[in-house]
Amino acid sequence: MSPIPHTTSERIVDLERITKRFAGHVAVSELSLSVPRGVVFGLLGPNGAGKTTTIRMMMNIMIPDEGVVRLFGDDLGGRHHSARIGYLPEERGLYKKMRVREVLIFLAETKGVARAVAAKKADHWLERLDLADWRLRKVEELSKGMQQKVQFISTMLHSPELLILDEPFAGLDPINAQTLKDIIVELARGGTTIIFSTHQMDVAEKICDHVCIIARGRKVLDGGLAEVKQVHGGTHVAVAFEDGGERAADTLNDRCLVAKADDYGPFAELALADGADPQDLLERLVRSGARLRRFERIEPSLHRIFLDKVGAETEQHGAEVSRA
Amino acid sequence: MHKIWAVVRREFLERVRTKWFIISTVLGPVFMIGITVLPAVLASSGGGPRAVAVVDEGSGEFAARLVTQLGTGNRFTATRVSADGPRASEVLDSLTRTVQAKTLDGFLIVGPSAVESGIVEYRGRNVSSLRDMALLEGVLRQVVVVERLTRRGIDPAVVQEAQERIDFRTSRITKRGATAETGEATFFLAYFVGFVLYMAIFLYSVNVMRSVIDEKQTRIIEVLVSSLKPFQLMFGKVIGVGGVGLFQFSIWGATAALLFRYRQAVFSAIGVSSEQAAAVQMPVVGGALVVLILLYFLFGYVLYSALFAVVGASVNTESEAQQAQMPVTMLLVAAIIMFPVVLNEPSGKLAMVMGLIPFFSPIIMPIRYAASEVPLGEVVLSLAVLALSTLAIVWLASRIYRVGILMYGKRPSVREMLRWAKES
Repeated sequence: MSPIPHTTSERIVDLERITKRFAGHVAVSELSLSVPRGVVFGLLGPNGAGKTTTIRMMMNIMIPDEGVVRLFGDDLGGRHHSARIGYLPEERGLYKKMRVREVLIFLAETKGVARAVAAKKADHWLERLDLADWRLRKVEELSKGMQQKVQFISTMLHSPELLILDEPFAGLDPINAQTLKDIIVELARGGTTIIFSTHQMDVAEKICDHVCIIARGRKVLDGGLAEVKQVHGGTHVAVAFEDGGERAADTLNDRCLVAKADDYGPFAELALADGADPQDLLERLVRSGARLRRFERIEPSLHRIFLDKVGAETEQHGAEVSRA
Repeated sequence: MHKIWAVVRREFLERVRTKWFIISTVLGPVFMIGITVLPAVLASSGGGPRAVAVVDEGSGEFAARLVTQLGTGNRFTATRVSADGPRASEVLDSLTRTVQAKTLDGFLIVGPSAVESGIVEYRGRNVSSLRDMALLEGVLRQVVVVERLTRRGIDPAVVQEAQERIDFRTSRITKRGATAETGEATFFLAYFVGFVLYMAIFLYSVNVMRSVIDEKQTRIIEVLVSSLKPFQLMFGKVIGVGGVGLFQFSIWGATAALLFRYRQAVFSAIGVSSEQAAAVQMPVVGGALVVLILLYFLFGYVLYSALFAVVGASVNTESEAQQAQMPVTMLLVAAIIMFPVVLNEPSGKLAMVMGLIPFFSPIIMPIRYAASEVPLGEVVLSLAVLALSTLAIVWLASRIYRVGILMYGKRPSVREMLRWAKES
């Protein structure tokens, strides 16, 4: 589970065994990870896994009880490098009574951008995100989704090298989420390093080069997306039926063939049992009389990996607790 | 520096642009003049002459003289009602009903031995009007004294002369010699200065608290502290809001100066004759007093806004702040409570001590300075104590502030806050 070697080995963010305890529980425990320059890095985990705490420690908003946080190769902290970092916190807010454009200019100024430059960039991005007509309105007049877009713009006005986004897609409609994804991909192409947290695996799967899954404050898995899928191993098959697939039920429930089945509705993702041959499965399905619409060998989805890994972690934890 | 300036600019402009600012700038002086001048005006005028009856229970000439004397001023219209013998209680009952019906304000009961015993009773609706009672008592005293002296055979002309009105004038002596300022004007000025300082310090430092709560409540604080040091943020906020205060003062000051300069034109415009206008007393506000007011306002405001910033950082909502700000507000209110004592004896021991305590000195010292001569050494000492305390409190407050702004949930105790200050 070592980080994959990257063409440019420069580490933009480097966490070394950081631990954060709150009264009564450990939020993050001995977490190490490093983010190379230029990648889109997904920090994944279930609710309460410690994603936000980890990000807050990256930003130096919280000080880890143990361990070291290095940004751009030193440990001076997020505020020291704030001009190079754009940050969208999970708990986001704007000055409600201020005009949209004014808020953006002010927030850019706190990053050291001159007013005139900030104004020009704000106008550009407001245009790009369909908010140009709202630039002179007060923030409180905007819908929640619009406010979120304004917040996203505010993280980019100083053209940061590193963008840290905590749950950027939460609460966005599909159209706005798509716009956001496009911009993230575009920025990444331009060389910006992007770290974002989410529990939406499908989004992460589409845009991440690199993922790190954490659960209960510990790292479960860390690596390049392709590598992670390869390491996870196993044979995975996607099947879909034209009818309800009732005739295939016996076959799918045969634990000698299928270890696990996730029914996503339109199709099901099957993890085959050790040593089972997909060819046998196909034959059995055809013989059962089920009408197949899709039968495809696939890589395990991030979703599947997430469930396997986090589920195992939780079970293990349960076992530990019951033993104790 | 650029970043602090951005914060200052935002705090300043966002406030100056609000309706609240415009309204308070226009109505502020109206309100303050109202609150200081109105009670005096109301107490001195308060409607037309008072109708008073003098119930004569057999005092002879005394009651008649009292009626005449009451009639000489324009405050009372007096009528004599004789109530001799058995009818007395009937008369009193009917008079009481007349008072209740509001056709009469009250009545004096003059017994047969009123002059000897000096006992006269007044029953009326307006007994709580201190000014009316003082006037009545004055007239009564005068008539009784004349009566007593005349009975002892003193020449009425001498008695008359002894009764001549005394015109008591006060004027204030400062280091620059006697001024034209009267005692009343001095008192008024000192009271006004104290009140304005109290209002300004309170309103603007509460504004700082509101701003802190707003940033916490909207959660923008997390973005801000990722690029600004908490101290930069707090400092910028205090300067920005204080700037609004100074700006508002300047508007008021300039308006007052212009009005004073062109007072003749103003008076004639509102139909006041130049003679009457000349009679309006203007307290002399020296340059030293203005400088002192500004210095004490600045330090007092910074000190209190640091305290209020801590309150803001320790709560989650405005309504929680209502309760949490009590201890700080009490300090300011304590200064107000001391007003009468300090005005009564501006050089007294209590006034001196209050003038040295940094929580009170921003309000107490300018009052003392306006009301009397304060030794330069005392002013310097008081300012030095205030400046040092302000520095210490700002330092302590900023340490509590930077922990508090990221804390949500249960309100911390004072002990917890001090722990934050120690650890951060």
